[in-house]
Amino acid sequence: MAVATLAHEPDQLYVETRELRIQGFLLFMVSDLVLFSSFIFAYLYMRNSGQGWPAGGPKLDIALAALNSIVLFGSGATMHFALENWKHRNFSKFANWIVMTIILGAGFLSGQVMEYIHIGARWSDGIFGASFYTLTGMHGLHVFAGIIYLTVLLLQALQGKYTFTKYTGLTLGTLYWHFVDVIWVVLFSIFYLL
Amino acid sequence: MAAITASVNAGGGLADHIHPEPQGFFRKYVFSIDHKIIGIQYMITAFLFMILGGMLAELIRVQLMKASGGIMTPDTYNEVYSVHGSTMVWLVIIPLLTGGFGNLIFPVQIGARDVAFPWLNMLSFWLFPPAGLMLYASFLMGAPTAGWTEYPPMSLQGAAGTSMWAAAIFLIGVSSTMTGINFLVTILKMRAPGMTFTRMPLFVWGQFVTAPLLMIATTALGAALAALFVQRQFGVAFFDPTRGGSPLLWQHMFWFYSHPAVYIMILPAFGIISEVLPTFSRKPIFGYKMIAFSSCAIAILGFMVWAHHMFTSGLAPALQLPFMVLTMLIAIPTGIKIFSWVATLWGGVIRMTTSMMFALGFLATFTLGGITGVFLAAVPFDLHVHGTYFIVAHLHYVLVGGSLMGVLAGLFYWYPKMTGRLMNEKLGHWAFWLFFIGFNGTFLPMHWLGIWGQPRRVAVYDPQFQGWNQVASWFSFVMTAALVLVLFNALWSIRRGKKSGPNPWNARTLEWQIPSPMPYYNFKHVPSVFAAPYDFAEPLPYKGLEEELKGGPPPVPAAH
Ligand code: HEM
Ligand SMILES: [Cu+2]
Repeated sequence: MAVATLAHEPDQLYVETRELRIQGFLLFMVSDLVLFSSFIFAYLYMRNSGQGWPAGGPKLDIALAALNSIVLFGSGATMHFALENWKHRNFSKFANWIVMTIILGAGFLSGQVMEYIHIGARWSDGIFGASFYTLTGMHGLHVFAGIIYLTVLLLQALQGKYTFTKYTGLTLGTLYWHFVDVIWVVLFSIFYLL
Repeated sequence: MAAITASVNAGGGLADHIHPEPQGFFRKYVFSIDHKIIGIQYMITAFLFMILGGMLAELIRVQLMKASGGIMTPDTYNEVYSVHGSTMVWLVIIPLLTGGFGNLIFPVQIGARDVAFPWLNMLSFWLFPPAGLMLYASFLMGAPTAGWTEYPPMSLQGAAGTSMWAAAIFLIGVSSTMTGINFLVTILKMRAPGMTFTRMPLFVWGQFVTAPLLMIATTALGAALAALFVQRQFGVAFFDPTRGGSPLLWQHMFWFYSHPAVYIMILPAFGIISEVLPTFSRKPIFGYKMIAFSSCAIAILGFMVWAHHMFTSGLAPALQLPFMVLTMLIAIPTGIKIFSWVATLWGGVIRMTTSMMFALGFLATFTLGGITGVFLAAVPFDLHVHGTYFIVAHLHYVLVGGSLMGVLAGLFYWYPKMTGRLMNEKLGHWAFWLFFIGFNGTFLPMHWLGIWGQPRRVAVYDPQFQGWNQVASWFSFVMTAALVLVLFNALWSIRRGKKSGPNPWNARTLEWQIPSPMPYYNFKHVPSVFAAPYDFAEPLPYKGLEEELKGGPPPVPAAH
């Protein structure tokens, strides 16, 4: 291959720069999406083959789930405000919004635990129980991981790890949190509305 | 390259980020973040697992020397071939082609200093050895018995080792996914100035098309494994028909992604072959763009044909025809490649190095495997041979005759880039012929054994098949001997091989422009690329490898 070496060419870096990290993270979310999609397709496929529902239909508490969804979407909004405030260099508001997000996320998880306690289906019941518990359980784990993630971000921000021009970690945290929201829209639709 | 300049600026000052080469043994060779060391780590680990997997293979062949009453009970036999298949697919071929050769070579070929996420790369590697050990630890608790595909209900009844198997393969999957993401970002964002997509060497194209498959296919395999695991351990009813699940669900989940996964095992090998053939024919590769685009076509089609593994599993007849036609379509891009490779050889100045011989062997055997694949795509034929040794023959022609020959071609080709020395050519020629003869002697008879009806995955068989099974077994020892010879050659050449200089083959891609072994950070200065690869037009001082080797180290261009 014909090659010229230019002594003054700026040397390419080895670091994980902002652009690389965001792209890598987007790809990670794609593969995570595939994980969810596989279970979703499995569920829809089995359900349409006519064996999906436990006798008498699943007894899901749609009111509780709707309330819970509002809590989760609210946390998406608060996270959005957190990042915006960071961009506008308002540190104390940023901290407040991110704490709000964490509280709402925890609220969502408690709602989910309540639902698990009251629901009329068991995971051994059949494809419905299997899919419901696997998918919502996986989603719950993502929320849980997100709460830890956001807490770490907050602590890092408090320690001054981010500057107002260098905050890739915060961007990624926000992306992740929105991703978890979007997944929930799909799960809510297929389990409660469909 | 706007992208790189931009990221340079975003990343802050140069001095902060160029790390000095680590000096301690552990940071340099064990927990290294250098893509070349990680590539070598993958290769060493994968070759170690290949020894284990190969021993299991020989156990299988010894068992089948006799129609009945071999050395193993049927249960042990089931464990042996299940772990053999899983080892070869997930612990040998995929790690060698992606983590191994991928890591070692493609970042240099695009003029990068490292992959996009070096720490993630180290983490990906360090998931791999524990996962492999977990797979082998399953022998202690009753290894999986339902083959590498682990169909329920059999896999639900297997001993605890089956859950261990699922967990081990899941870990490998996580590792592969991270590798895929890493490679994709690297190729998209870290190419040197002037390295456009149409100037990328074809090995890079192979990795570029494989990376999304690694990322997507393996994740979904992970979903299937997770479902199997929770059903086995917690009674979650995915595959149990009495509770509304279905064993067929596993087949859909497994093949929807494991069919694309077979392309993970062949596309990088296509890339290796596309490097070796032009270099040793001293001709630019014929149909560069066709080869690159046909890889993309294969990857996309690959996601649409999974049900050809399920023709006999109760797939609706209305679905059989589309899956049959789509599967046969894959033969077109594959055929285009084979045509381009042969056309590359046409009129070239052929140098019969060991690497070239393995590449030519690849052409012959992979083509045969592809042809039997098209046979299998025909539903009526598949109904007859499904579950027989014909499938075993097909899959070994593509996986051993294809992927593994690609690996061996690549090993002899790039060995100097790892060690600064050449592998011994004489031993290499011996190894090639032993391998080629042993391989065909082992697997060719399986075609007719399958057509005559010998079922696969069974420890005893009809005595009328015993003769050909003995032939296969004897030749399998020859093949194993050849592989041992290759490993011996690789070890021996680390110290005793001829010094190679930077560019022993007079190749044109970027990795040959830097010293051998490749230095930390690869390039002193990032190169600017201004022409396509495989440009052999300029007259070269080349006289023939044998002469060069006799007359001491070949003439080398000055290193920079
Ligand atoms: C021209 C391309 C190919 C076609 C048309 C094709 C077609 C098929 C079909 C129809 C089957 C299913 C047979 C059955 O189970 O009854 C099959 C099995 C298989 N093929 Fe291919 N194939 C092709 C290339 C490849 C390649 C490149 C690889 C891997 C590198 C591969 C690996 C396998 C494996 C591993 C199996 C057996 C799976 C099992 O254990 O049941 N094939 N092939
Ligand atoms: Cu297939």
